[in-house]
Amino acid sequence: MIVSSIILALLAILGAPLFAVIATSAMVGFSRDDTDLMNMAIEILGLGDPILTAIPLFTFAGYILSESRAPQRLVRMTSAFLGWMPAGLAVIALATCALFTAFTGASGVTIIALGALLYPALKQDGYPDRFNLGLITASGSLGLLFAPSLPLILYGVISEESIDHLFRAGVLPGILMIIMLAGYSMWVNRGNTQMIKPFSWRELGAATREALWEIPLPIVVLGGIYSGFFAVSEVAAITALYVFVVEVVILREIRWGELPRIIRSAMVLVGGILIILGVSLASTNYMITAEIPQKLLEWISSLVTSQTTFLFLLLGFLLVLGAILDIFSAIVLVVPLILPIAHGFGVDPVHLGIVFLAAMELGYLTPPVGLNLFISSYRFEKPILHVYSATFPFLMILLGSVIIIAFWPDLSLWLVPDP
Amino acid sequence: MTEGKRKFFDRLDRTGRLLENFALVVLLGGLVGVGVAEIVLREIFGRGISWAEEFSRLTVLWLAMIAAIAAARENRHIRIDALGHLLPDILFRATRVLVDLFAAAVCAVIAWHAWRYLQIEIEFEDTVFRETPAWIVHSVVPAAFALTAYRFVLSAAKSALGSDTAQTRTPMP
Repeated sequence: MIVSSIILALLAILGAPLFAVIATSAMVGFSRDDTDLMNMAIEILGLGDPILTAIPLFTFAGYILSESRAPQRLVRMTSAFLGWMPAGLAVIALATCALFTAFTGASGVTIIALGALLYPALKQDGYPDRFNLGLITASGSLGLLFAPSLPLILYGVISEESIDHLFRAGVLPGILMIIMLAGYSMWVNRGNTQMIKPFSWRELGAATREALWEIPLPIVVLGGIYSGFFAVSEVAAITALYVFVVEVVILREIRWGELPRIIRSAMVLVGGILIILGVSLASTNYMITAEIPQKLLEWISSLVTSQTTFLFLLLGFLLVLGAILDIFSAIVLVVPLILPIAHGFGVDPVHLGIVFLAAMELGYLTPPVGLNLFISSYRFEKPILHVYSATFPFLMILLGSVIIIAFWPDLSLWLVPDP
Repeated sequence: MTEGKRKFFDRLDRTGRLLENFALVVLLGGLVGVGVAEIVLREIFGRGISWAEEFSRLTVLWLAMIAAIAAARENRHIRIDALGHLLPDILFRATRVLVDLFAAAVCAVIAWHAWRYLQIEIEFEDTVFRETPAWIVHSVVPAAFALTAYRFVLSAAKSALGSDTAQTRTPMP
């Protein structure tokens, strides 16, 4: 058991595809229990939670949006609204990146689609280069806590918590993160007045007209989900169709010939996530039959007694985890293990989900292997060490926000209706 | 590799890519179409499509399987990529050969057991959509894992021969 675990961990670190590693651990478990390995196939065929349809549909919508000129319109619209504030463009960057990431699921698409737009604009307005680089890199995963982000949906699937409640729970903690980063941006740029632009009704009108087709989108998605009128998978189908009709048929910013390429790259991401989910259904079932979560709970309870210590331990664990593992694999692998433990310490499962995702969000920025750091370094052609140090202050602020989110459960649970 | 062989593999790659794209477009289109049609029919006529949920479930299964083949072709399966950025090229390639052969073996084992499961479904005459034999719809699982295994073998061969490594090291999502 221990030997096979070490070999598997080694293979994972050497870069073996994670689904293969997880599948092997499940199959090793099955054969120790004399369970037929056919169960592997049965578990994969069980990729059938109706909520899962939301994943390909929202991803498709996000990819179509990022390939159209919607990012430009979104930035113009937000500028017209917020450009008059001190450090207005920085706040705009935070808000637009968060909105965009909610749709595209923090797969690096945000930095590529919006960063290319915002980075030169920030520079032109006289913001210091180091600040811009850190801001864009940190913003790339902001918005994970807002509907309809894929990690939130996936957490709901794995924990069997209502997706609707998770979407509500993410709102205030997500806003807290943006406010804290915005405050820092204003403080850093307090001496610079060149960047403040007067508010103009005319510009707001023009920007609104330009974005007329996209404005209903957040209303459809958020309204549909938060009102509880439609199921999440239904909102996803409507969103996918709406985005397709607007960007391809009406605005014609994406040619029909480009669709197969865009659909392919969106679905490849989805396939990578779903196959991990499929094989991890098997490994989770094995872990539960082997009562591994209970044993872990007993072990941790013997070390830690208070909820506060447990939360600190959990945060430390998640920060390390987030730095090594991508968010999707982390959710499917770790949530089934920590959910019963957190329950044992009286942590609400919805609150746990928000803490989990918020902490994993930091993983994108944690040196040495945070994904956003690499994407930024690659996209803006900066040395990776330079990106590390530029992002560091933002990482510290987000860490502060994650600690607040962890120890203030009411912030997450405020908007969640009592069961 | 001779010129003729290279051409053959290039054509195979193009055809495979086209087939995957075609399947992905059709499946996603079906998912959107049936999803929206179900809502419209239910809200306007008060009667949804009885098979809509089962259709969506199976379409997601197919999407996941075909996309897994496509992801293997493009080397976009999720991995921990920490070491790749630190190792010298020759060691990086060696580890890639090792881990891709491992992934190929795992996929082959899953394909084999999924195939065995199909035999049982045939024997017990399991069905989906009321009358369709389940094994026809479920055959995508062994087929996709077999193809994914094949792609990982090719990928290991490419790393061993030294082509393609520059592309595999790009830290793009």
